[in-house]
Amino acid sequence: MTAVTDRQRLAYVNTQASEARVNVELQTEDMTLNLGPQHPATHGTLRVVAKLDGEQVVDADVVCGYMHRGYEKLTEVRTYPQVTTLINRIDWLSSFANEVPFILAAEKLMEIEAPPRAQYIRTLFFEMARIANIGLFLGEMALQVGALTPAFYAFRDREFVLNQIEAATGGRFHPNYDRLGGLKDDLPKGWIAETQAVMKRIREFCDELEGLVAGNIIFERRCRGVGVIPAEIGKAFGVSGANIRASGVDWDLRRDEASPLVWKDLDWKVWTHPDGDSFARYWVRLQEVRESTFMVDQMLEGLPAGSIQAKVPRIIKVPAGEAWVHTENPLGEMGFYIVSQGGLGPFRCKIRSASFNNVSVLPWLLKGTYVPDIITILASLYFILGDIDR
Amino acid sequence: MALDEVTGLFKGLGVTFRTMLKGNVTTQYPHEKEAPPTRARGVIALKEENCTVCMLCARQCPDWCIYIEGHKEKRPPRREGGKPRTVNALDRFDIDYALCMYCGICVEVCPFDALFWSPEFEYSEPRIADLLHDKEKLGEWMETVPDPLPLEVGAEKKK
Repeated sequence: MTAVTDRQRLAYVNTQASEARVNVELQTEDMTLNLGPQHPATHGTLRVVAKLDGEQVVDADVVCGYMHRGYEKLTEVRTYPQVTTLINRIDWLSSFANEVPFILAAEKLMEIEAPPRAQYIRTLFFEMARIANIGLFLGEMALQVGALTPAFYAFRDREFVLNQIEAATGGRFHPNYDRLGGLKDDLPKGWIAETQAVMKRIREFCDELEGLVAGNIIFERRCRGVGVIPAEIGKAFGVSGANIRASGVDWDLRRDEASPLVWKDLDWKVWTHPDGDSFARYWVRLQEVRESTFMVDQMLEGLPAGSIQAKVPRIIKVPAGEAWVHTENPLGEMGFYIVSQGGLGPFRCKIRSASFNNVSVLPWLLKGTYVPDIITILASLYFILGDIDR
Repeated sequence: MALDEVTGLFKGLGVTFRTMLKGNVTTQYPHEKEAPPTRARGVIALKEENCTVCMLCARQCPDWCIYIEGHKEKRPPRREGGKPRTVNALDRFDIDYALCMYCGICVEVCPFDALFWSPEFEYSEPRIADLLHDKEKLGEWMETVPDPLPLEVGAEKKK
């Protein structure tokens, strides 16, 4: 070995190390791996273009937009009641939670407020949407790691929550239950008792998954220390929801933001985890589902009597102005910025959806990881494609 | 392998074993049927005699899947010697279920209670064009419309 080759080797190390930790013993050529747009692990059409050096990712790029439906534009040609049925489809696993910030923003412009019973029922369904959405994640994340059983358990128990949502709203996935100034209909008789039984069942499901997945050594070794998002990086990329709480940031809009919804009346806690890895994200979500069931129980007990609809005109015109409302949706922060010019529908509507910002951290996060870990990191970030592309 | 790692594995096996003893939850659909909830938005039924061809539902529909045509008709006067009445008669009322989003806006805006939700859901067709249903078919579904449910404690009656 001459000195020249040594220097050459050192130069190679320097250039590669600046991009990622790369295996330098073999001078291999980079390979481009196309994950998606039809890959099952992306549960939708997300494409990840990863440049590989051996088994390691040197560079990753997220290509989204395959499912862009143009909701911001569509809202401009529809009236307010018609918009709620559209925005149900943004994050289809927790549809009800999408309606709430939009309706709250429109109500803010109209300067009306729904009666307390309506606010209670809204918050109730918001939390049930969270249970239905994240409950599925709990099984599905294990599926991506290679365990098939928890996915079936998750689908089984999510069904009970969806049945309750359907019994009250009429829609299984797309409730379209919110109206300006209130709700479509009150709860049917016997619904409260049934929901209490379902919440008990969901808590059992959480216990089951804690034994089955979170305590499993194979799952832990696949997830611990993988895909660590430091708190500063997460904040810089706009990561929100359980993803940022798993990085130790104590940030929850349900508690931090003044809202007409009733979270302030309830006794609950925000769960955080200091690690920031895939396992932390799973663990935080597991605790959140359990916390949500307790919140639902409290709301069922404290449900006030009364009307569910404030007085609104028959043809709804929202006065001119601008309003921004964001809430803590199951996937993270979701916000609607409505610009109204006094017409029947919004003049312009900006939708801030959680998943888009959550996946934007992926190019940073995937650098230096191994190929099998891409899937667990994608699964643990938990995005819904409709929420990314809108 | 540490001891707690082994116990973790066996704890998981215990969960699956207990689930195995609990029995089946799957409904084998075409052979056994589950009744959907009363409020389920399955299909829109039409009560033809209530419709006044006011077109509110067709205008409010977010994806414009309702097609209505009508004409004016003279009817004999209600009282002796009065003027003959003019009523709107319905010629065509089609809903394209291939486009319908099942949002229920048409049912809500109908001022004369001519549209209803029915939990009936078994009307799939092999061809997408066959999902356009006319008023005779929508009228048949009126039989499956359930009465509205009683409300939970603390709810206010609708006026």
